[in-house]
Amino acid sequence: MQNSTKIITQHWNDINPLKIEDYLNVGGYKALHRFVKKMSPRQAIEEIKKSGLCGRGGAGYPTGQKLEMVGVSGATEKYFICNLDESEPGTYKDRMLVDYDPHLLIEGVIIVALSVGAYKAYIYINGNYKKQKDILEIALAQAREKNFWGAGILGSEYDLEIEIFSGAGAYICGEETALINSIEGNRGEPKLRPPYPTDAGLFGKPTAVNNAETIANIPWIISQGGEKYAKIGAACSPGTKLYILGGTVKNPGVVEAPTGITIRELIYDFGGGLPEGKDFWFAQIGGASGKLVVENELDIPLTFSRDCPIPLGSGAVLVVDKSVDIHDLILSWTGFFRRESCGKCVPCREGTFRLDEIAGRLKDGKISDRDKQAVYDILWTLNNTTFCPLGKFAATAFSDAISKLKILGD
Amino acid sequence: MLITLEKILLEYDPEAKNLLPALEKISAVFGYVSRENARKVADYFSLPESKVYETASFYDLVNIKKQPNLIIKVCSGTHCAVSDSRKIVEEIENKLHIKAGDENNPRVKLEIISCLGRCGEGPVAVINDKVYERVTAGGVGEILEEWI
Ligand SMILES: Cc1cc2nc3c(=O)[nH]c(=O)nc-3n(C[C@H](O)[C@H](O)[C@H](O)COP(=O)(O)O)c2cc1C
Ligand code: SF4
Ligand code: FES
Repeated sequence: MQNSTKIITQHWNDINPLKIEDYLNVGGYKALHRFVKKMSPRQAIEEIKKSGLCGRGGAGYPTGQKLEMVGVSGATEKYFICNLDESEPGTYKDRMLVDYDPHLLIEGVIIVALSVGAYKAYIYINGNYKKQKDILEIALAQAREKNFWGAGILGSEYDLEIEIFSGAGAYICGEETALINSIEGNRGEPKLRPPYPTDAGLFGKPTAVNNAETIANIPWIISQGGEKYAKIGAACSPGTKLYILGGTVKNPGVVEAPTGITIRELIYDFGGGLPEGKDFWFAQIGGASGKLVVENELDIPLTFSRDCPIPLGSGAVLVVDKSVDIHDLILSWTGFFRRESCGKCVPCREGTFRLDEIAGRLKDGKISDRDKQAVYDILWTLNNTTFCPLGKFAATAFSDAISKLKILGD
Repeated sequence: MLITLEKILLEYDPEAKNLLPALEKISAVFGYVSRENARKVADYFSLPESKVYETASFYDLVNIKKQPNLIIKVCSGTHCAVSDSRKIVEEIENKLHIKAGDENNPRVKLEIISCLGRCGEGPVAVINDKVYERVTAGGVGEILEEWI
């Protein structure tokens, strides 16, 4: 199990992230060479389509299809954005990616940006990731010196500019249209779609936005081929995934494992199980936005398919044992969504606020029958009427806590 | 050497994509974006002042009000929450006689914040810009002594 294919973490411990030579010595930037010398942008996108790679930012949208939409557009100005805004609670895989192997990400960004025909790529990084921004700046300068980006890449006709854009502390800016708004100098509120960013994104131009982990798979796919990638993990959403284990497990941290792995395998085989004397209660998959799973659901394989009962989301796995005060966790969820609701639409702005107030009364043992009735209305409204998915996210764990953990009684 | 607003602005071309980075920088250097500075930013970017405020007021890392000298932030993300971050907040509230979220104390502010991506090292607290990891309620006193 532990020896299974490693794509992203392959070199995490044997290279110095600040030395481009180290990355070159393990075969780094060979995929870029291959792309520039031997492939057309269309062939590269074909390869990515064959791989079955789908978005690691949460929604699982097929990456090749998205890139193709931007690639076929005849617009002269197009953009590519690497989404490194990572701010789902409990999630720090994209940060680790930069900490351990920044050039893998940069190589992916260059290949994808050139494949879609963009002359400009942005890396949108979480504003709290100051150290990671510094690492990326150093790595980008090294890569530019080697002519891996800039003008006439590796003697070809390709030109590409890359710029780091630092977010300013807003969870909603991880949502791609809000992210675009914030680069444009606006409030980071989601935009109405259509038009989709692939048609009219940054500054109104066709734009592909991909999660950093998604992009880190690209060099491997270009080197080894899409077909080989498609054989890894679950057929519906192939490849490996970075899972972030935390809470009551012996070995917390980030692990790379195939998609389709079960929650039980993650917690017990990779995480080493729970420490002595702790009893498993439930796990939360995908951060504060994620669903709860109880003991009899641990054998569900995690995939990005819409049919998967437990969405993989960000890949965070929080293990909660019976000694944890559930009210602390509930308030963590409700406080988070109350703070991070962008305020654009009333159901979410009001709903997250009311839910947090009720969670406070629940903790204080002062919850009324009226509150209990109101909770169902609020959750329904969040789930069904909000402008963007954040509303639904705010209702997910709370709803599960009612149905699976019986926080309001039977 | 004194950093002036004008010097900061010169680092940025007056394009839409530089508005937020410039505001972030100004807030980091001066602690907040004052009315006067917002006016200068508006002039520089050829935008109405209301537009500058509209953007500035949205983001956590851009302040539009003068900040107290001591800003304490405690992460309440899922991982920190299950490792007792709430007890840390309570301990700080008791020790400093303040309430989390109170904006009216001119000397100190205690904020409950979202995940910082350091979940593996939680619970996490940040005082001014110094990050503390694996904080315990018992260790709060010692940390605060560094600052008071
Ligand atoms: C509220 C919200 C927050 C999101 N946060 C992130 C994030 O932090 N990082 C990310 O890559 N995608 C995030 N997404 C998903 C993006 O909108 C987008 O789907 C993704 O970046 C596309 O890349 P992918 O196809 O490679 O996953 C978020 C979506 C929503 C609705
Ligand atoms: S659902 Fe929430 S985050 Fe999304 S647009 Fe409405 S208020 Fe903003
Ligand atoms: S939950 Fe506190 S740093 Fe992530």
